Amino acid sequence: MIRVLAIAALLLGMMPAAVLASEGGGGLINIDKSLFIQMINFAVLLFILVKLLYKPLLAKMDERTQAIRKSLDEAQAARAEAQREREEHAGRLQAAHAEAQAIRATALKEAGEEQRKLVEAARAEATRLVDAARSELAEDVRRARQELRQEVSDLAITVAERLIRKSLRDEDHRRIVQDAIARVDKVN
Amino acid sequence: MRAREGTARRYAKALYELAHAGGDTEGAGRELERVTAVLLGDARAHDVLTRPWIKPEDRRAIAAAIAQKEGARKLVQDFLGLVAERGRGDHLAEIVGAYRALVDGEHGRARAEVRSAVALTDREKQELSARLERALGKRIILEERVDDTLLGGFVAQVGSLILDGSLDGQLAQVRQRLARG
Repeated sequence: MIRVLAIAALLLGMMPAAVLASEGGGGLINIDKSLFIQMINFAVLLFILVKLLYKPLLAKMDERTQAIRKSLDEAQAARAEAQREREEHAGRLQAAHAEAQAIRATALKEAGEEQRKLVEAARAEATRLVDAARSELAEDVRRARQELRQEVSDLAITVAERLIRKSLRDEDHRRIVQDAIARVDKVN
Repeated sequence: MRAREGTARRYAKALYELAHAGGDTEGAGRELERVTAVLLGDARAHDVLTRPWIKPEDRRAIAAAIAQKEGARKLVQDFLGLVAERGRGDHLAEIVGAYRALVDGEHGRARAEVRSAVALTDREKQELSARLERALGKRIILEERVDDTLLGGFVAQVGSLILDGSLDGQLAQVRQRLARG
């Protein structure tokens, strides 16, 4: 390829010299049949150059352009794909974030609910214990009072019995019997 | 206890109906009481009546023989023999009580069992009987016994009716009032 380009440059460089020669009369180019031959040479050369140099060059350029375009297209596609993936990742990330937020919110809610239940249960248990203790205490007090009252009455009656047994005389017995007989009428 | 009384009543009623047919419930009752007192008062006789390993026919023969020896009529002999044979010797006291109640009912009278702290005078007995007769509308037979555990007064029981005229009863009421507060 470099060689072809060098030849083309040489030929192009010769053209001004030929023109100058014709202008000066007796230069490189004379207006005669050699000119015609030179024109044919030039045409042949041009044809050859076009065939051997220009078209391959164009083809090469075109190929390169195509390659560059293809690369650009691929780069564009890759960029688009990257963009899409980035967006997809961003979407996934956002979804994951939202899901994490939802899970966190649910967990917080459940934890709050659980805490509320635990507190309520603890409060209810505490109330029940207090009530039970209060009730038991009241029952103990009532029982103690009853026992004390029973003991006091037993003691009082026992003492009274002893005193009565000691102090009763025959006339007292007669009077008690008479009183009891008098109360028989009240049976009905 | 209730089942025991029910059983005693059934036996007493059977004897009463037969004695009533014979026309002398009082006499049969007296004989029943007399022989029962002997049977229950004699430890050996009591053992014979109550031990389950003695043959029923032997128990019957022994009870009837004792009744005969005590001069009880044939009906009472057979009855006591039956009671002994059926192994109901330990029910005799209740049977006597139930029979007595039936005879008392027949004659429109009631028996008042009186426990008193000191012995009642005749005048007190008469007065108590008269008042009980007035109150219950029945002739009263007073059976009195002194109970040393009583402080004073008396407790009279006529059938299921209990009249508590004792100091103990009054003290018990005071005790209940004190205990209730």
